[in-house]
Amino acid sequence: MGSRASTLLREEEIEEIKKETGFSHSQITRLYSRFTSLDKGENGTLSREDFQRIPELAINPLGDRIINAFFPEGEDQVNFRGFMRTLAHFRPIEDNEKNKNAAVSEPLNSRTNKLLFAFRLYDLDRDDKISRDELLQVLRMMVGVNISDEQLGSIADRTIQEADTNGDNSISFNEFIKVLEKVDVEQKMSIRFLH
Amino acid sequence: MPRKRDTASNDDVDIEIDIESSDSDDGATQRRTNRRQGAGRGGAKGRGRGKKPASEEEDEDDEDEAPRGRRGANKKKPTKKRGGGDDDDDDSEDEAPKRKRTGAAKKKRGGKAQDSDEEDSDVGKGKKGKKGVGKKGGKEEEDSKGKKGDAKGKDKGKDKGKDKGKDKGKDKDNDKDKKKKKKKDDSSSDSNSDSEEEESMSEGEMARLMEEVEEKKKLIATIRNKPWRMKRRLVHLKEAQEFVDKFEGALGKGKGRKWYAYKVMMKKKWIKFQRDFENFRTACIPWERKIKEVESHFGSSVASYFIFLRWMYGMNLVLFGFTFGLVVIPEVLMGLPYGSIARKTVPRADQDTAQDYSVLMDFNGYCKYSVLFYGYYNNQRTIGLLKFRLPLSYLMVGIGTFGYSLMVVIRTMAKNADVGGGDGDEGEFTFAWKMFTSWDYLIGNSETADNKYASITTSFKESIVDEQENQKDENIHLRRFLRVLANVMITCSLGGSGYLIYFVVKRSQEFANRDDLGWYEKNELEIIMSLLGLVCPPLFETIAELEDYHPRIALKWQLGRIFALFLGNLYTFLFALFDEVNTKLEEEESIKNATIWAMKEYYANYTRTFNDSDSTPPPMPPADIIRGPCWETGVGVEFVKLTVSDIQVSYLTILIGDFARAVIVRFLNYCWCWDLEAGFPSYGEFDISGNVLGLVFNQGMIWMGAFYAPGLVGINVLRLLSSMYYQCWAVMATNVPHERVFKASKSNNFYMGLLLLILFLSLLPVVYTIMTLPPSFDCGPFSGKQKMFDVIMETIDLDLPAFLGTLFSYAANPGLIIPAVLLMVLAIYYLNSVSEAYQNANMELKKKMQMARDEEKNRRNNTDSTNQVMKDLEDLLPNRSLMPAAPPPDPGKKPEQDPRQTKTKPGSAGRGVNLQRDVALASPNPNARGPVSQPPGPRGAGPMPGPGPGRGRGRGRGPPPR
Repeated sequence: MGSRASTLLREEEIEEIKKETGFSHSQITRLYSRFTSLDKGENGTLSREDFQRIPELAINPLGDRIINAFFPEGEDQVNFRGFMRTLAHFRPIEDNEKNKNAAVSEPLNSRTNKLLFAFRLYDLDRDDKISRDELLQVLRMMVGVNISDEQLGSIADRTIQEADTNGDNSISFNEFIKVLEKVDVEQKMSIRFLH
Repeated sequence: MPRKRDTASNDDVDIEIDIESSDSDDGATQRRTNRRQGAGRGGAKGRGRGKKPASEEEDEDDEDEAPRGRRGANKKKPTKKRGGGDDDDDDSEDEAPKRKRTGAAKKKRGGKAQDSDEEDSDVGKGKKGKKGVGKKGGKEEEDSKGKKGDAKGKDKGKDKGKDKGKDKGKDKDNDKDKKKKKKKDDSSSDSNSDSEEEESMSEGEMARLMEEVEEKKKLIATIRNKPWRMKRRLVHLKEAQEFVDKFEGALGKGKGRKWYAYKVMMKKKWIKFQRDFENFRTACIPWERKIKEVESHFGSSVASYFIFLRWMYGMNLVLFGFTFGLVVIPEVLMGLPYGSIARKTVPRADQDTAQDYSVLMDFNGYCKYSVLFYGYYNNQRTIGLLKFRLPLSYLMVGIGTFGYSLMVVIRTMAKNADVGGGDGDEGEFTFAWKMFTSWDYLIGNSETADNKYASITTSFKESIVDEQENQKDENIHLRRFLRVLANVMITCSLGGSGYLIYFVVKRSQEFANRDDLGWYEKNELEIIMSLLGLVCPPLFETIAELEDYHPRIALKWQLGRIFALFLGNLYTFLFALFDEVNTKLEEEESIKNATIWAMKEYYANYTRTFNDSDSTPPPMPPADIIRGPCWETGVGVEFVKLTVSDIQVSYLTILIGDFARAVIVRFLNYCWCWDLEAGFPSYGEFDISGNVLGLVFNQGMIWMGAFYAPGLVGINVLRLLSSMYYQCWAVMATNVPHERVFKASKSNNFYMGLLLLILFLSLLPVVYTIMTLPPSFDCGPFSGKQKMFDVIMETIDLDLPAFLGTLFSYAANPGLIIPAVLLMVLAIYYLNSVSEAYQNANMELKKKMQMARDEEKNRRNNTDSTNQVMKDLEDLLPNRSLMPAAPPPDPGKKPEQDPRQTKTKPGSAGRGVNLQRDVALASPNPNARGPVSQPPGPRGAGPMPGPGPGRGRGRGRGPPPR
């Protein structure tokens, strides 16, 4: 019984995850136990229901979108590797990482990747563009029925008008980056994981 | 069995995450408790699960033990490694080598192990335990645990997973039930300390650190050979030595290791403490949550009133502290008690009614002769054992009140202005930012979430209003005409009401000398004033509709206009007051003579009746002494009465105007002819302008009255405190948000400006009375002096050394004062011009930044002309331009993609952009051709709206040309 779980956390596995995500050894083990505690089905993967049990996500208007971000397209299970890969987006950027990451490949927690993660929360149909409809849907999630459709529409129009630089009436990732240029994404999209 | 292990370790993880992810915003505490509950639940479950099989079977129990051991081993490893480089080879999960290794380690370091007063039943194990303790840096938890474990006789159930694992075989014969219980007990505390220890260092860090230490050591050794300057060498040497000192301990060399572990632990604790403290401080901001709640439902404009109220409360609290600490309490504690002298006694004529409720409510009777008012204070120079100079302190506090208020108001204004200037150009991506960044993802409490929900909605509404304002296509001439018209009308009505007030005041002066007056004539002034206050604000509001300003600006106009109207109120009040004071001053003269005469008479009578000219007569009973009108107390009573009636009126207004109305609308709606909620009465809106002005004028009353009635400040503090709760409740319970929720300006400097104006206006009469009017001869701390400020002169003469007195007299010389004033004027002028220059520089910089942004935008849009090199490359590879469209992140695939690919792609994107930019900078102005011929527009400067931009973007994101 349970040979799977113990193999999952073999040293090599941890090393690989470490390399891929930049988490430390203890962070991985700790997150692993968190993972297993979320895993009510006890099959080594998490389902959407597992995520929805987290109160923060349950009340979050965009909770569904966030949960979605954990799941690769077309699947409704995520294993520990995938879980860690998503979480790695939220790892704070450390000081010593800042200067050296230009040389090697970009880590998952870089600014661009953080932004990409956020971008995909809004990009419902995954076509690398946030269209007006997608904005409207997300807005609807965020404000409920308190604002009339017409006004929501004008908000969405306005948002696109602000962000859109190439006139295709949608927000591309580059435009998204541009919009959030002055937002301290590194800080906002970081969770202090335990070391 | 791994399941059990996992669940067993749930606790620590959850708890740790709790602690770690705490954030200092307002939701933090709730969130944390929430999570902790979750953790508790999880933990309980886990434990329960772990327990079940254990109680079923003994073998199961052993199995249970094993993974725990392994887990412990996992966690332990870093520690081991830290313990010494020689243990690095041990990577396998196998238990045998571990046993060997620990055995060896024991031998090696057993001697070194620090002594602890645990009782050990098993020596070997005990040593190990001790070693563990030492290794872990002597943590207290660890110690206690060791004790616990030893008390049981075995190390087995302890957190030392390795020991446990190893002992498993040997200790099978041990009583299982104990073990089980133990394990359960320990699982929580163990895990805590386990993870805490782990926190201190991980494997990778260890290795890195060791490397670095080695490096530094090498540097120290070879620093002589470096071709550096001496200064640099010294700096490096020092750095390296410090580093080695600091971290060598971490690598397990001698005693430093323990010390290091201790330091690390303390550092972590300190950081955690700081975070907790930060949370605590946030939690300590009074009413923060209340205000946030109001803000999320009613918008920042209504919240700005409450913030202003809170600020006011803080300021008044300080004033209250001064007044009570330095004036009221010393007088109560050390001064003469009630009834000892005339000024502290109710006159005999009033004594019968002095305790009547109506009299007390008018602040007569006992109230008037109490510590609340000026007249009660004695003019003894010093009181009590401490020789407290009460009159001096009284004057100083009176002046200090104004000084402090001025300072605070002005400083707050300056600070607010600072904030306003900081982020001036926010207008760029308002909606996009709101859209993308408004939700706080760490909120875990549903109530907080609801509030956030409401506040996002509100902020969108606010932005919509702003936006509508911006996009209004207006007939500018018509609007201007209407605005001028509105202002003319309002000026007319203000002038009219001003004249009305003047007229009425004059009439009332005439009436004052006549007796044959009806009720109306007596109260004419008050009636007119309240009518004006009732009619004018709505009138102004109606007129303001014409102007069609943005609601925020409209609020300011409204505030300014009502302020002007209320100034009339103030003016009449002061006018009446000065009249009263003047008559009282005249009256006083005669009474003073009468008092002296009465005193003489009394003595004469005494001597005659008892025919005993030698013995001193007993003093006249203080209640019988004839006393002057004491105009200061009179003024104080007026102010207190005014304040109290103001409180009553405003509270009643809320109760009737808002609450009763809301109740009626809510409950009569079921049986009414028309829809009350949507129709005529509807619910009230929160009247921002009225409330702010009420607060401002109330504060003016306090400032003016505080000198004559020290108790007034206390009353005001109570009022602000209660009104905070009352109004918060009222606004949440009975009001509806404004139809157009608008955003308050970031600094509520406008309120502050009004406050400053009122402060000056109230400063004038008080200073005038202090400087010019003679104090009453028989009441108050300054009685018997020509002017109130003589107290200062007296102190200088009597208490300070003589040369200081002469110094002051020189300083008071006009010859010195005039140059000083000139100097100050010059300084103001200078500072003013400097700040103007800074402002200009600021504007320039802002413009430049805007230009830089525009330029970049342009460049990005017409990439075609930006980069010659890239263009050439693309020409060479005709298909390339199409390719980049493919790689852009396929969102669905991403999490499952090969990690390497995920990593390289964005990296290359970044490099692609960089490269492009770099080259663009390097080449001799490649832009020259493009934008010069055309004006730089936001886009479309390039000739191709179609494929061009697409290609540009694609290139920016795609892999760089190799």
